[in-house]
Amino acid sequence: MWSAGFIVFFVLSLLTIAGALFMISLNRVVHMVLALSLSFISIAGLYILLDAEFLAFVQVLIYAGAISILMIFGIMMTKHSEEETEEPKKPWQNVLTAVGVIGFFGIIMYAIQSTTIVTEKKDFTQIDTVKEIGMAIFQKHVIPFELISLLLTVALIGAIILAKREEE
Amino acid sequence: MESLLQETLSLKTFAFFLLIGVTTLAIVLGFVTYAIYFERKVIGWMQFRIGPNRVGPLGLLQSVADVTKLLMKEDTIPNEADRTLFKLAPVIVYVPAFSVLATFPFTETLYLADLNIGLLYYIAISGISTLGIVVGGWASNNKYSLLGGMRSAAQMISYEVPLVTSVVGVILLTGSLNLHDIVTNQGDNIWEWNLFPQIIGFIVFTIAAISELNRTPFDLPEAESELVAGYHVEYSGFRFAFFMLAEYVYVFAIASLATILFLGGWYPPLAMLDFIPGIVWFLLKFTAIVFFLFWIRATLPRIRVDQLMGLGWRVLLPLALFNIFLTAIVEFVLR
Repeated sequence: MWSAGFIVFFVLSLLTIAGALFMISLNRVVHMVLALSLSFISIAGLYILLDAEFLAFVQVLIYAGAISILMIFGIMMTKHSEEETEEPKKPWQNVLTAVGVIGFFGIIMYAIQSTTIVTEKKDFTQIDTVKEIGMAIFQKHVIPFELISLLLTVALIGAIILAKREEE
Repeated sequence: MESLLQETLSLKTFAFFLLIGVTTLAIVLGFVTYAIYFERKVIGWMQFRIGPNRVGPLGLLQSVADVTKLLMKEDTIPNEADRTLFKLAPVIVYVPAFSVLATFPFTETLYLADLNIGLLYYIAISGISTLGIVVGGWASNNKYSLLGGMRSAAQMISYEVPLVTSVVGVILLTGSLNLHDIVTNQGDNIWEWNLFPQIIGFIVFTIAAISELNRTPFDLPEAESELVAGYHVEYSGFRFAFFMLAEYVYVFAIASLATILFLGGWYPPLAMLDFIPGIVWFLLKFTAIVFFLFWIRATLPRIRVDQLMGLGWRVLLPLALFNIFLTAIVEFVLR
């Protein structure tokens, strides 16, 4: 008999992959973003299965919430009607794409097969994972954390300056 | 509840969970029905009117009649609309609104799920509703609803920032994201609540919460006099009902959250009053906040869209950040 965890994992991974596939194959941009956010939410579900609740809800907050809305906000002004602009396909393109995809798949498979995955299962249910994450970020790795925040601030100011210049 | 959550999932426990879920839904629907009645009555009295008084004794069945009317209405979908998304949008709005209720502790023992990251869960899940509003506005293929959706997205993103930063002070005082711990860290007396140490946080939270709820004076996404009705112009019948339902469920959620974070949850205001059960205190505080929301609606005019953005980014956010610094420094000195 399958355990409940396995069934949930199966459904979530199916949803993740389905969301990613629809993201590529759908025609309208808004539909694509929704498919993508389905994928994001399912990944959050997978994190919960791994007892990483904090990561899961940060994933929902940042990706499914903020980033999806930002993308939709950006593309809401696009046309409603389906436009299918068929680009003239170059010969050999399909073959080259297939070779590239199979090559990439081979490399990834090799990488997955050759890594030794730690099989001993740690019990995280008794630990306050949020506290542990906080300790790790603000005590152990506080300097990298500050550097990242500095980098983000610089990027933010840089983006504003660039946008201002374009306005003039 | 605690022992139930630890058990392995069998058909029996699943049926029990389902029953609890349906009961919660029924309670929430009851709340929404009478919140609407209460709102109309209160606003009526404040404006020297009587309010609904025809359907049933004292007009108590007015909302029931309104909902029945909505359900029997013809279900219209505009020709040029994006049909799939048009149908999906109310679902995307409502499902997060209902699922955030899972994490609230109403009393010491009455709660649905004791999440370690309860506060983060609320913030993360409630963000998804915005997606539904924007998608609904876009899928209607109507200029007014598109504008309403855009305004809603801008407003909700802008006010989520002060809302989240205003509760950081509470998290600093408690040292936990667990809502149950946040309440037990407060005490039996009114001066032990988070209200007074976090008064700046509470004010910012209240203003940002009203804006997140899209209620007057921040109801720009559905401003009827300029946008017809905002993102749900094209919706009618039960789809429209779902948008309204989600809005009132968020009123329920925000009032519970404010009670838990700042007003000491189920604790009485004075220690000698603790013979009255906790749920009564919770409901009293909860009702006071709901009344406050209606009161604000009856008295304040709507503000302009640029004033809205200015208030959010230039006033509330710096205040909330100042509150974080102040709380951190005081905590550090006291320790």
